[in-house]
Amino acid sequence: MPLKTVATLDVKRLEILSPDGAVDESLMPKVKDELLLKMYRMMRQIRSFDERAILLQRSGRLGTYPMITGQEATQCVPPLALKPSDWAVPTYRGGGVYFARGMQMRYALLYWAGDDRGTHFPDGNRDMMFSIPVGTHLTQVMGLAWAEKLKKKGGVAMTYCGDGTSSKGDLHEALTFAGQFKLPAIYIIENNGWAISVPRSRQAASETLAQKAWGYGVAGIQVDGNDPLAVYKAAADAVARARGGDGPTLIECETYRMSHHTTADDATRYRSDKAVESWRRKDPIVRMKKFLVERKLWSEAKEKALAVETKKWIDEEVAAYESFPPPNPLDMFANNYEHATWPLVEQRAQLEELLKFKGGAKILTELPPAEGRFP
Amino acid sequence: MKTNPPLKKAAAAPAPKTRSLNLVTAVNEALDLALAADERVMILGEDVGRNGGVFRATDGLWKKYGDERVVDTPLAEIGIVGGAIGLAVAGMRPIAEIQFDGFMPAVFDQVVCHLGRIRSRSRGKLSVPMVLRAPHGGLIHAPEHHSESPEAYFCHTPGIKVVIPSTPYDAKGLLLAAVESPDPVVFFEPKLLYRSAVGEVPSGHYTVPIGKARIVQEGNDLTILTWGAMTVTSQKAAKKLAEEDGASIEIVDLRTLSPVDLETVLASIFKTGRCVIAHEAPNSGSWAAELSALIAERAFLKLLSPVMRVGGWDIRMPLFRLEQYYIPDADRVVMAARKALNF
Repeated sequence: MPLKTVATLDVKRLEILSPDGAVDESLMPKVKDELLLKMYRMMRQIRSFDERAILLQRSGRLGTYPMITGQEATQCVPPLALKPSDWAVPTYRGGGVYFARGMQMRYALLYWAGDDRGTHFPDGNRDMMFSIPVGTHLTQVMGLAWAEKLKKKGGVAMTYCGDGTSSKGDLHEALTFAGQFKLPAIYIIENNGWAISVPRSRQAASETLAQKAWGYGVAGIQVDGNDPLAVYKAAADAVARARGGDGPTLIECETYRMSHHTTADDATRYRSDKAVESWRRKDPIVRMKKFLVERKLWSEAKEKALAVETKKWIDEEVAAYESFPPPNPLDMFANNYEHATWPLVEQRAQLEELLKFKGGAKILTELPPAEGRFP
Repeated sequence: MKTNPPLKKAAAAPAPKTRSLNLVTAVNEALDLALAADERVMILGEDVGRNGGVFRATDGLWKKYGDERVVDTPLAEIGIVGGAIGLAVAGMRPIAEIQFDGFMPAVFDQVVCHLGRIRSRSRGKLSVPMVLRAPHGGLIHAPEHHSESPEAYFCHTPGIKVVIPSTPYDAKGLLLAAVESPDPVVFFEPKLLYRSAVGEVPSGHYTVPIGKARIVQEGNDLTILTWGAMTVTSQKAAKKLAEEDGASIEIVDLRTLSPVDLETVLASIFKTGRCVIAHEAPNSGSWAAELSALIAERAFLKLLSPVMRVGGWDIRMPLFRLEQYYIPDADRVVMAARKALNF
């Protein structure tokens, strides 16, 4: 008997705004000018924030920091298709996602300064901490989406992982469940070309990462991740599908990590500047600016005003970050359980004893008050 | 047919020179010698190839031995460890690297259900001569999940050996012993000591036996049992106790956590009668708990004071601004030692 074709893959790639600013009007999402401007402003602001964070780290005022530069469209735009009551869970390189969700960036700085008070989300939002062991959140987000489906109120859950993380079993299990139970989940693979020093080509041997979706009965699409309009359309379509009960979507956003993995990495050891330069021409911010200027929505005067406003905003966030009092060591014992267990009560007292041993009795009165709830 | 014939050993250099090396360079040198000695040896892990590892432990080896023997894997820890188990069973000698201690829980299924059981389940027909390397511990201002001390989980698992050196000499000798071991070895490398621990290291091949502790300094009043970076902290504490209390402290660096060198441990306790166990992990259910049980079982009547454990608190490792209050410092070791000395 002849072999029959029982399934085929038809993997589409979505591009709307070309690097030179040309638009495919037939694919253009119906969005208000206000939202287009918001996308641009956010990308511009988070780029400047990123640059400042690197300077802070280089001058010893911040710990190891993962750069966002180049990935602003992939990060800032999809959350704009969500409501605050939807779930958003980025990766550790997800400052743009948190920013788009309204997080005060002083907390992002605080987190990367090694301070546990940095995971502070705006009240009312349903955000979750990113996972540092990468991809371990992917099944949890499936669970978040599962709960939203059971609650029948149209809530959805959006999450991210990198091209490297797409190799982990976590994504396989998350998509298996999400597809099986038709969950309102949006999985974005933020394919920035690099897992530290390992290139995308060393991950899956498949042509795209988007096509993984087909293995799970999940909708899949590849998007030019540096095209804010395409990223928005893909995300908004996926959110609409999820809300409408049509199940999950896997979106591969193809973008590029323009900087090192983190400030602790040296990318010159493993990649050439040439590739980086070729991606500079595809910069999402430059592209969006051309588009907005073309549509008479933006001008150099507005650009200058935004630069001034952005600098002021960053100055304020940095000042607020640096004016946090040092953390009280006793705060470590707060929030570990609803009610602290006896070992914690005992060990907290031992830490107090240690602090007295180190600094005499006055050290405890000099410390800022403990903030966390204890016991 | 024996699937896993013993590893070929590098010819000892005619007159090994000793040089002053840091711990990560000693690790690199051991890996280099192992790769050179036997073509079955291979390294696999994330960023171990072109980048030479995030701590540079494999620096230069990809260039020297090529892409088939020093392999940048896809980002998938289960793939790395499960793959290494298969490679080892089929006759290769893989050295798998998990990039950070905090990424090790991902591989528990492979470690707990398979790594230590294959020899026994196959009635001795198959074996898994592989090394699972990972950085260990905190105090380098690393991001979250990059400063963990998960040794107890591994020591609790039968069928594997668990090693953690604290000097460059031991790092090289123990790693070569681990690669030559016919059984799987989990090899922790204290990341605080990668560059800060510097010592004399012979240039050629040598091994430090797995299962033997090292007496760091001899003393009569109290024994500090320790491992990893806490060995250095314990030395600071011992100095303070000698200066301020006139106490004579013996420090035992276990080097191998499983199987523990009970002979050396008990000999020291019999001599001093007092014991502080200093380590970075949370105390409850820790390897320090196992050691104190062993001491209670076998040296009860020789003890002059209860065994004191100094470890991390029973909470998660905080972000780095507070890590110095979580991981015991010399003051905490001193406080515990004084309680034991004045019991």
